[in-house]
Amino acid sequence: MQIIENLKVKEKLYIEKLANGLTVMIIPKPGMKKKYMIWGTNYGSNDNKFIVPGEQEVTEVPNGVAHFLEHKLFEQEDGTNSLDTLTALGVNANAYTTNDHTAYLFECTDNFYEAMDELMDYVQHPYFTDENVEKEKGIIGQEIRMYDDYPDWRVYLNTLEAMYHENPIKIDITGTIETISKIDKDILYKCYNTFYHPSNMAMVISGDFKPEELLEEVKKRLVENKPCGEIKRIYPDEPEEIVKPEIVQKLEVSNPIYTIGIKDIRNEKSQNKSEIVKKQLSMEILLNLIFGRSSKLYQALYKDGIIYGEPSLDYEFGKNYAHVLITGMSSNPREVYRAFKERVEELKNNGINKDDFERLKKMIYGSYVKEYNDVQDIARMFLSDYFKGIYSFDYLEEIEGINVEYLNQVLKDVFKEDKMVLSIVENE
Amino acid sequence: MEHEIKEIKKGIKFHTLNTDKFKTNLFAIFLSTKLNRENVTKNALISMLLRRGSKTMKTQEEISKKMEELYGASFDCGLDKTGDNQVLKFYIEAINDKYLPEHNENILKTVIESLLDIVFNPYIENEGFKKEYLEQEKNNVKQRIEGKIDNKARYSLERCIEEMYKDEPYGLYKFGYEEDLDKINEKDLYKYYSELINSCKIDIFLSGSLNGTIEKFIEQNENIKKLQEREPNFEIPKLPEKKEIKENVVTESMDVSQGKLVIGLNVNIDNDEEKYWTLMYNSILGGSANSKMFQNVREKAHLAYVASSSYYRFKSIIFINSGIEISNYEKALEVIKQQIEDMKKGNFTEEEIENSKKGIIAAIKTIDDEQDTGITYYFGQELSNSNVSEEDYIKKIENITKENIVDIANKVQINTIYFLKD
Repeated sequence: MQIIENLKVKEKLYIEKLANGLTVMIIPKPGMKKKYMIWGTNYGSNDNKFIVPGEQEVTEVPNGVAHFLEHKLFEQEDGTNSLDTLTALGVNANAYTTNDHTAYLFECTDNFYEAMDELMDYVQHPYFTDENVEKEKGIIGQEIRMYDDYPDWRVYLNTLEAMYHENPIKIDITGTIETISKIDKDILYKCYNTFYHPSNMAMVISGDFKPEELLEEVKKRLVENKPCGEIKRIYPDEPEEIVKPEIVQKLEVSNPIYTIGIKDIRNEKSQNKSEIVKKQLSMEILLNLIFGRSSKLYQALYKDGIIYGEPSLDYEFGKNYAHVLITGMSSNPREVYRAFKERVEELKNNGINKDDFERLKKMIYGSYVKEYNDVQDIARMFLSDYFKGIYSFDYLEEIEGINVEYLNQVLKDVFKEDKMVLSIVENE
Repeated sequence: MEHEIKEIKKGIKFHTLNTDKFKTNLFAIFLSTKLNRENVTKNALISMLLRRGSKTMKTQEEISKKMEELYGASFDCGLDKTGDNQVLKFYIEAINDKYLPEHNENILKTVIESLLDIVFNPYIENEGFKKEYLEQEKNNVKQRIEGKIDNKARYSLERCIEEMYKDEPYGLYKFGYEEDLDKINEKDLYKYYSELINSCKIDIFLSGSLNGTIEKFIEQNENIKKLQEREPNFEIPKLPEKKEIKENVVTESMDVSQGKLVIGLNVNIDNDEEKYWTLMYNSILGGSANSKMFQNVREKAHLAYVASSSYYRFKSIIFINSGIEISNYEKALEVIKQQIEDMKKGNFTEEEIENSKKGIIAAIKTIDDEQDTGITYYFGQELSNSNVSEEDYIKKIENITKENIVDIANKVQINTIYFLKD
């Protein structure tokens, strides 16, 4: 296995791409009793339109299939459910779907290999019937309704709606009650056979292990697979412009909830690994500089009672999208938005203060070191970064290279007023 | 991980959890005081006000800048209701000196001094808190109180608790009451704060890679020195009083697309040992994917996505939670009541018992692998005046029999059924 060592956090990544195309990553954590295994496929809610390897015509499936598949994969032919089997082993099992990947996982102290048997068995052996697909519609229907009642989720989805014309990032991961009603077992098999090939998947394990031995255990449990061609994913062209500057939804909430979104553009440069990492780090520094706990903007709005607590500051990106999301609660979201834009302009004109930059760079460095405390955080981080084409250690390495000039440039490139939207959820 | 306790002064304890497993050190201060109607809002305000500034770091901006400078030390505050106590929690998590890019820095001592300063040496003007800070934090507390409705599932749980504990301390909302806010001024609140820090139970926790000098460093800190000895004013959990109760059904309306059903159960245990049995009972009833709730309400009847139960050992109560189609209320209630009945009749297998034991024991074993979980575990023991090692805890779980669980099942009574609909 290839070993990548990081001297800053004093951790090692063992990585190998197997003959069948599967990438296995192991991060040993000697002395930890907890063990974590996660197996993911590079397939999420965004992948609704594609060409199956070997076919000519385009396949288009209803929204919510990736998530529906995640629910149904636990079903076994002998009538058992793998979630029950794993739980009975005393392990904590789960699965989740994002816009670009789906992952199956468990955390345990004992019975690791028994749990691995089950996980690797159910992910490699789908069993869908008309009956088991139908019954899931009731359960997922209630999951959708649950999210309908979360104002934070509504304000997020609405922000994407205001930013994107076509990009499937704006689709709700679960689909809607209407779209999931169209899902049947044939659609599930087709998507499974297309996207659950080892060459489209990656596995991460963290805990007290000897990596070489563990890798052999993984290999033993893999079923034979024919090599498969490239999956052609079809994403619609997305204009650079936003859809609309403001979007408002009425819900019963105590105070208005807002998200400021900024649509960013992905170009050639943004496919370069080092650039992706530097951009992400710069965005984190910038967002804290503009609206973090020590910022002038935060202090002023807090003092005036316009905001309660600090907003969450995120920069999200994938293969064909990238955006800023600033979310919080405010008595007056439009005033927050105005003050935010004013502060951005001020910073663009005056440039970034060197002391602020150095301090926040230290802070972001620390935040990445903290990610290495827990096997779960480590495994999830390596998986999700892997599907973005990054090794998680890269963040710790690239941060050194960021300087004020670079940051000033990113500020000018991303924080453009005509790319900003405001989403509000408020009372009638 | 070694857990050591030292009583610095009567009523003030310093706990160390020495371990090399983590990249961070976690330093925490918990102030515990009896929950009551008179002081609940004041305590909430204090927990928010202390974040605003100390004598040495006068503004929130100064505190934040200092934390950022310490490689993003994260300073956090929390307010909890644990049994009949209100607990004000303050934390700083900072990376261990070993993982700093430039060596020879010692940030742990700065972290300790900063948090002690924030909690015990607040910014004062004219013998009171700063008026401007108080007014802003009143506004924040008011928002927290109103904000109760924002998460409908949590709101339903809070409402169920209120219904179960009318006119009792545990029924109070941890952020207090809006009508109290106008009556509180900066001078009286500071006077109250001075009484609080000299009467509450104080627990100081430090988890991380530590050396022998740290204990002395804390004992000799000026802010610690000026604290008085005290007979700490906190409540140790009592066994539940047995009283006849009539099932209380409460239905309320709000703008929701899904109905939220919460059922509050009393568990009338006779001794502390039965708390372990109740933990097992809850695990089988609704604590995991193999539980009766998950299997019957979700997998068999397809009525819900969330179908679970959770055990609050400080009050010996269990809450059943489920999000359902509003029109399915009767059906869901019937299925859930059937599970409670089945537990009473002992309709569960040895296998279900063994599986639950495995799950609980795995959770106990991971206590040491998470810094905050370790602290929460030992703090829970402090508040319940117990001292059970992880090994003993595991043994107690292993020894539980089916009879023990059926015994608990027959001590379970439905107290309140709360339903939030449109």
